Amino acid sequence: MHIPDGFLDPKTAIATSVLSFSGVSWALREVKQRDVQRKIPLIGLAAAFVFVAQMINFPVASGTSGHLLGATMVAVLLGPYSAIIVMSSVLIVQCLLFADGGVIALGANIFNMAIVTPVSGYGLYTLLRPFLKGERGRITAVAFTAWCSVVLSSIFCAGELAWSGTVSWNTAFPAMAGIHMLIGIGEAIITALVISALSTTRPELLYENSQSLSEHRSHGVLVYGMLVIVGIAIFVLPFASPWPDGLEKAASILGFEEKTPAHSLISPPMSGYRIPWISSFATATALAGLIGAFVAFGLSALLARILTPASSQKNMDAPHAP
Amino acid sequence: MRHDFLDKYSRINSPIHRLPSMAKLWISFSLVVAIISIPLRFFFLFPFIGGVLLGALLLSRIPIPFIFSRLLILEFFTVGIAMLSLLRPNGTMLFIALMTRSTLCLFTVILLSNSTPFAELLEALKRLKFPPLILTILALMYRYIFVLIDEMERMTRARESRSFSVNRRSRWTLLASLIGQLFIRSTERAERIYAAMSARGWK
Amino acid sequence: MKTAVDIRNLHYTYPDGKIALHGVSFSIREGERIGLIGPNGSGKSTLLLHLNGILPDPLHAPPAVSIMERPLDKTSVGAIRRDVGLLFQDPDDQLFCPTVYEDVAFGPKQFGMQTAETRAMIQRALEQTDLLGFEDRSPHHLSGGEKRRVCLGGVLACEPKILALDEPTSNLDPRGKRKLKEILRSLQATQIIATHDLELVVELCSRTIVLDQGRIIADGDTIELLGNEALMLEHGLETPHILRHRHPH
Repeated sequence: MHIPDGFLDPKTAIATSVLSFSGVSWALREVKQRDVQRKIPLIGLAAAFVFVAQMINFPVASGTSGHLLGATMVAVLLGPYSAIIVMSSVLIVQCLLFADGGVIALGANIFNMAIVTPVSGYGLYTLLRPFLKGERGRITAVAFTAWCSVVLSSIFCAGELAWSGTVSWNTAFPAMAGIHMLIGIGEAIITALVISALSTTRPELLYENSQSLSEHRSHGVLVYGMLVIVGIAIFVLPFASPWPDGLEKAASILGFEEKTPAHSLISPPMSGYRIPWISSFATATALAGLIGAFVAFGLSALLARILTPASSQKNMDAPHAP
Repeated sequence: MRHDFLDKYSRINSPIHRLPSMAKLWISFSLVVAIISIPLRFFFLFPFIGGVLLGALLLSRIPIPFIFSRLLILEFFTVGIAMLSLLRPNGTMLFIALMTRSTLCLFTVILLSNSTPFAELLEALKRLKFPPLILTILALMYRYIFVLIDEMERMTRARESRSFSVNRRSRWTLLASLIGQLFIRSTERAERIYAAMSARGWK
Repeated sequence: MKTAVDIRNLHYTYPDGKIALHGVSFSIREGERIGLIGPNGSGKSTLLLHLNGILPDPLHAPPAVSIMERPLDKTSVGAIRRDVGLLFQDPDDQLFCPTVYEDVAFGPKQFGMQTAETRAMIQRALEQTDLLGFEDRSPHHLSGGEKRRVCLGGVLACEPKILALDEPTSNLDPRGKRKLKEILRSLQATQIIATHDLELVVELCSRTIVLDQGRIIADGDTIELLGNEALMLEHGLETPHILRHRHPH
């Protein structure tokens, strides 16, 4: 998901850089508030940890392999603010040391993977926790959030590429979101397994259990709300506005096997089809997304059931468990 | 010494390596900006930039296959997205432009990172007034990547020598327990590093 | 001669409730070199962390530790951290900078010294630990012995009056050990060496303190204590070979 240089136009690169800069500064300010001396080594080590954990591949369907992103995991363990800095550091090192992700695109990459993921991951987690009680609820929430944050991040990535005019939204969105709905399953499983293991052996390592940091906890919801607003501003607005050539692209999705650009040039904007087409595309996408989310939630609950023995559930507060 | 693969050639001696890191940082940055902002009608400039980069590569004495294998690995995602652009009107042109630009940019950054030790890059960023907190974190992170890789290799080996049957589910749980263990060790080490830093007057 | 370290009735309990130190008292004169021995978990490392106020965290009053005849409390802890150099057990924990030079320079910079003075101190520390020419190397390109010497260099660069060393010879090959011993022997600072390497204690320290389960079991002449086989065995230790040859039973 690392966007290379050359794929973003100036306006997108600048906009995302500004967003990232303010996001990271905000996180730095929050982290500096208390006991920063103690947090710095922890954040540095956590960044090295994420970097190394991302090097471990896990098998995805049909012989390909994916790797962990780790943002939700770190957010649940260290809190959203530290997680933003951890993930940003990982991306900066990947960019400067390995050219993995572009220099000009660094702002966009930080925004997608170091701000959107931990903030949405943690925000959604705090939103879900009151409804999902006990250890089983925690694991369900963790798995589902991890999945959502990866998918959301990929949607932002697609949006930036489309906004830059590099690809069209109607191609990039289903392609990126679709692939990451699959990759997100791996992320969800690993994140759930790790958090489940840590919350039984070393519960004090979880952010929500660490007394000293708890005062920040309520911010999570606010953060999530803000993110949704920003998300809508970025995505729904351009989507609603006449997208430069959304129609042609939608056509080529239908005939995806015909990769030759000549065919996708059937550009006469058939105005009669415009409305039904967009709406059916949007409906189909929304439906697919909804189904995907439901399936992911079901799988998360199933995973939580497998991972938490009934006995440990009883000790917590069982009645509301899914 | 086994983790040289990360930035193996950043410390060899060559005219490129001897350039001040600040200069290299600025040159690379300007070059990247130039590459992505040169309009397509000046396409003839791209082969020229490519030639300059190749010249720098030769001067730097970094083995060419090494640089090209790096480039190739990174091209995967690039090609992936660029393919989507084929579906646009004028897609072929766009595809070629995207591939050319991103490849040249990748080439530039790979050359930079392989001819400048990371510590020097950080030093240059410090002079550019990067937030010191981030720089401290980056320095710590870079330092401990190697230690954590070692630790992970030791854990993997210990696990492999004890586990016999590996089915699908146990492979996932093994992987997760490895990652969980690595996290626990990282936090414990962070505590010790904090103590060591405080002992030398850190404040 | 001043008293370098004075500890009166030091207690410490870990956050998890485990008692680590149980009424430890001793004092060390300036220039003395003492060995601190005891089985695993006896409280050696924890004791060393009290010498410069890393523990207890936060510091509590009244202070049980005095360094150079000054009680260790919130106001003195900064200055005392300069006086007491701590060498940690795992060199990877202590070598946190990207290059050798930066690491050795870390302490002097933190203590806010002038650049020319700092440079001279760093230079001296590099010379003392035989590290000239290593300045630009990254820690991950160093051998175990070299790492240990860089750690020591980083500590010496602060020019401490007291050195507290936690297992300085662990994981070192014989050559690395020999080199480290030479360096330690050449230093003027008061030294407290916590170690399982009893031969090292015999060679370097005239006085030894035996710690077990957070209490001082014995405190006295090294040859006498380490030669006492019954005492050694009772506390998970053993009489080193060099002493056996000196006092054949």
